[in-house]
Amino acid sequence: MFLQLIVMGLATGCLYALIALAMVIIYKTSEILNFSQGELAMVGAYIAFLLLDTLGLPFAVALPLTFLLSMALGALCELLFLQPARERARVIPLILLWAFTFFVLYLAGFVEPGVPVSLAVIVLVFAVWMTAETFSKRPLRKPTLLGLIIITLGLEMVLYGGAGGIWGAGQERLPSPVSDTAGFEVGQVYLSGLDLITFGGSVLIMLLLFLFFRYTRLGVAMKATAQNPLAARLMGIRPARIYSFTWALAALVGAFAGLLTASAQPLDNNLMMEPLLKGFAAAVLGGMHSLAGAVLGGCLLGVIESLVAGYLPDGTQYKSTVAFMIIILVLCIRPSGLLGRHFVKKV
Amino acid sequence: MTRKLTIILCILAAAMLVTGCPPKEEAEAPAEEPVKPAEPEQPAETDAAKTGVTDDTILVGQWSPQTGPAALWGAVARGTAAYFEMINAEGGIHGRKLKLLIRDDSYQAPKTKAAVMELAEKEGVFAFVGGVGTGPGMAVKDYLKEKKIPWIGPASGSSKWTEEFNRYLFSLYPTYTDEAKALVRYLLETAKKDKIAMLYQNDDYGKEGLEAARAELKKHGKELLAEVSVEMTDADLKSHVLKLKQAKPQAVILFVLPKHAAIAVGTAAKLKFKPLWVSTSTLSDAPLMHKITKGLWEGVVFDTFLELPDSDHPRVKKYREAYEKYGLKANPKEQWGLFFMAGFVFAEPFVEAVKKAGPDLDREKLVEALESLDKWDEGIGHNITFGPKRRQGQKAVFLATCKKGKAVKLTDWIEIE
Amino acid sequence: MDLQKSYKEDIRLFKKPSALVAFLVFLVGLIVFPFLMLKVSGGSYYINAVNLIAIYAIVAVGLNILVGYTGQISLGHAGFFAIGAYAQALLVARGDVPMLVALIVAGLIAAVFGLLLGLPALRLEGPYLAIATLGFGMAVCQIIGRLDFLGGRMGFSVPPPGLSGWVKAWLAHLYSPELAVDAPQYAMYLLIIPVSVILTIAAVNLMKSKVGRAFVAIRDSEVAAETIGVNLTRYKTTAFAVSAFYTGIAGGLYAHHMAFINPESFDLRLSILFLAMVVVGGLGSVLGSHLGALLITLLMFSLTAVRDVPEIIFGAIMILIILFEPLGLRGRWLKIKFYWKAWPF
Repeated sequence: MFLQLIVMGLATGCLYALIALAMVIIYKTSEILNFSQGELAMVGAYIAFLLLDTLGLPFAVALPLTFLLSMALGALCELLFLQPARERARVIPLILLWAFTFFVLYLAGFVEPGVPVSLAVIVLVFAVWMTAETFSKRPLRKPTLLGLIIITLGLEMVLYGGAGGIWGAGQERLPSPVSDTAGFEVGQVYLSGLDLITFGGSVLIMLLLFLFFRYTRLGVAMKATAQNPLAARLMGIRPARIYSFTWALAALVGAFAGLLTASAQPLDNNLMMEPLLKGFAAAVLGGMHSLAGAVLGGCLLGVIESLVAGYLPDGTQYKSTVAFMIIILVLCIRPSGLLGRHFVKKV
Repeated sequence: MTRKLTIILCILAAAMLVTGCPPKEEAEAPAEEPVKPAEPEQPAETDAAKTGVTDDTILVGQWSPQTGPAALWGAVARGTAAYFEMINAEGGIHGRKLKLLIRDDSYQAPKTKAAVMELAEKEGVFAFVGGVGTGPGMAVKDYLKEKKIPWIGPASGSSKWTEEFNRYLFSLYPTYTDEAKALVRYLLETAKKDKIAMLYQNDDYGKEGLEAARAELKKHGKELLAEVSVEMTDADLKSHVLKLKQAKPQAVILFVLPKHAAIAVGTAAKLKFKPLWVSTSTLSDAPLMHKITKGLWEGVVFDTFLELPDSDHPRVKKYREAYEKYGLKANPKEQWGLFFMAGFVFAEPFVEAVKKAGPDLDREKLVEALESLDKWDEGIGHNITFGPKRRQGQKAVFLATCKKGKAVKLTDWIEIE
Repeated sequence: MDLQKSYKEDIRLFKKPSALVAFLVFLVGLIVFPFLMLKVSGGSYYINAVNLIAIYAIVAVGLNILVGYTGQISLGHAGFFAIGAYAQALLVARGDVPMLVALIVAGLIAAVFGLLLGLPALRLEGPYLAIATLGFGMAVCQIIGRLDFLGGRMGFSVPPPGLSGWVKAWLAHLYSPELAVDAPQYAMYLLIIPVSVILTIAAVNLMKSKVGRAFVAIRDSEVAAETIGVNLTRYKTTAFAVSAFYTGIAGGLYAHHMAFINPESFDLRLSILFLAMVVVGGLGSVLGSHLGALLITLLMFSLTAVRDVPEIIFGAIMILIILFEPLGLRGRWLKIKFYWKAWPF
């Protein structure tokens, strides 16, 4: 039983680790907590569903395509929503604003029941006003870090609602070639094909990321941008492109997590809400700046939850709570997480 | 200066608080009194009782989790909408068309309250039909009772609806207690399995089922081998299933959501744990469950309180046509199944009562008409009975199982007492 | 523009006569509002909405003290909200404590928990603090759900606010019998609005005082603050405690408002909603908290009629506001104010 719990905990933990990795990648480069990570993963799973189930594409085609599309989505989100905030751009936010205004007007006018007219009017007034101001050449302020986090929260809602709107509220099942239900025994422990892929995939991704950051030019460029964007710029690196790529990479890792999750449970737009939370906690536990820490944190979190749920009476009820309490305890002792580095900041 | 000002303001506010009225208001009050100050209670009531009824329309309200974690149940309201459209197409009732106003509360009580107040006061609906969720429902139950607005068919089997007598609240969904009793009795008497464990959701739904299962088993001198709870947000049930497996039960009662049932059954298969699964009506949509469990739902026994979605019952066929005609048109992704049909079953007695109440319709007449229903069996439910003191309309369920992705009846209707 | 000639002027509540006048007009508006609503059909719906806005405004002010003024972060404020709500429910329903006294006690209980949370929070910042507070919020809900004397998972029915005889007589005199049913909403209004006003004024005053300046110093630079003698431990925990106090009182009011509370309603979503109110409304500003609470609650209500995509609209509005107005709604208000002040330049 103990061994089984450990193995199961590791399997779940690897999923958390993947989400944690994605969050750490973005945090390392831009100090933003990406709350929309889960929904990006969920949309990735839905894209796979679209390709595999609705379009009936073969798996060998659908899988790479899913990853590519997820990466594109991640980069697009960054370009549309975060870049303007960072770079004080004007055009993209205006486009977004007017797209949204037309969307709301459409809802208010043509869809019944729709948005109350008062809301549509307010949005329209806001759009006109902001447009006028954009052309007045007054400098735009940059959002604070907290503001950027709120943007990711807003993005999370948009993706969540969007997926719900496109695919409806019904439960689907991803046709996955890897089964989570055909178990085979290894010693005293039951495993499934999916578990093996989870383990293998997570380790592989961690290794690949490590190699990527250490030995490829792009990886080094990302580290450079994280350390000092201005200096990086002077060295010929374009931070904007780096940030977009960061998000694409994170979305890729997230999509993998989404696919794994969707192979083991019904698919609906709530798929990744809980894993996001756990992944975030795992990233914090391991240290937000450390990739290895993300994996360590994820595995630890998974194992702790599994043991608590398995051994404590009614443990299933508060496995999350106990896990979080342990994380808080760890943070009390090591405020930057297990493998985090405490940065010395100039005052 | 600021300090004085602050102190003065604080005293003013405190005075307002304690007495409820600064001097200014006293002077205003008599002048601003509403027009009818001293009318006796009854005539006002009759006017209120006719709210929502005009010569050609009856306004009905329903709150529904169209979005959010409970969005699966959003289909209930859409089902009721299709049902009303079907009735309107047949000419309505006594020349009046039924108009359903749906508000999305995302299963959040403050939103439910706001939605109900809006529908009751701004839109002036005649009655509320359906309404998903025990939590949301509890938030508005007392308000509706005080306002004397009839509420028919809460989409939740909580015993709370009928705990205290409420003249205006008519419950249709057999209680979770009844369902648990039916399942336990089936296991003990028919399936002859007495080693039973239970997986339950950690909220009023699962807990009520747990208490009832325990009580029923105790009557037979037995108890549950394992009681494992699931949080609504849980995405990983590996430890839960392992715990169930450790107890070595022959059967497991499921009082959970479709998603969790699917995960549980899948994980159990992986762990080579194959008990007899029995579940409540929440999981009675066999084709859906078959799909999301990739076929592992085969052989699961469940209870349900309305005709099966693919049954040959003439009414079911009729409703299916309504689904194709109105439901799919409103929402091309709509699925025909338990949740959509639930929208019909919670509204049927209401429609019947409106017919019975006659052309001169008001809320009190509706209540009387509902009370007159006795073993009414013309809908897709069974033996709906109300009375001057009875507000639990249906206490009958039947058991079915999933064979090759379709639901197959195992028993006939069983009345639970 | 404003030359301040003395310390007293600096900490004045209303810097200009126009501000005072505006505030008084607002107060009068608040007083007159329920009378207007009596005339309007469906008036108690609006009263209900205003009640909820006022409750959330208190929370937003509390959270802003912590996030906007002191620069911390909290994803667990729903926990304090829940503590306040349940404390109030317990005291009034089981303890027969007068409602106002119970409200203050509920706030104090929440403040104690705030203090407790503030201790580990001393060493944490950013995402680490976020997770710690998140864990706290989660733990609170879990524990409440386990305690059967709090109604467990099934929830707790809260009696309506007990009004003093005076108020009852006035209500009976004012309202005709058929409107007596609406009295709970109006009674709640009478309770919530004064509490809200008092707490707001207290917050503004607090932020102008030594304590408030210490908070802001901590936000701007902890090291510098410590250097000039601000005791980080004391003021950080105080910030948490005050913030929790406000949220606790709001929770108590919420318990009466909803008349039924269960642990499910105090989840992470609510905490995030509170944070959104504060950021969208304007960090570091009491007015901003109110504007944020107003906007978010109105959005919540008006989107109930939208069929498919209310979340998209909600999320998009949040994104757009931050993109165009990083300082939040209050920033926009400031811009308008300065525009008029500097006109015609």
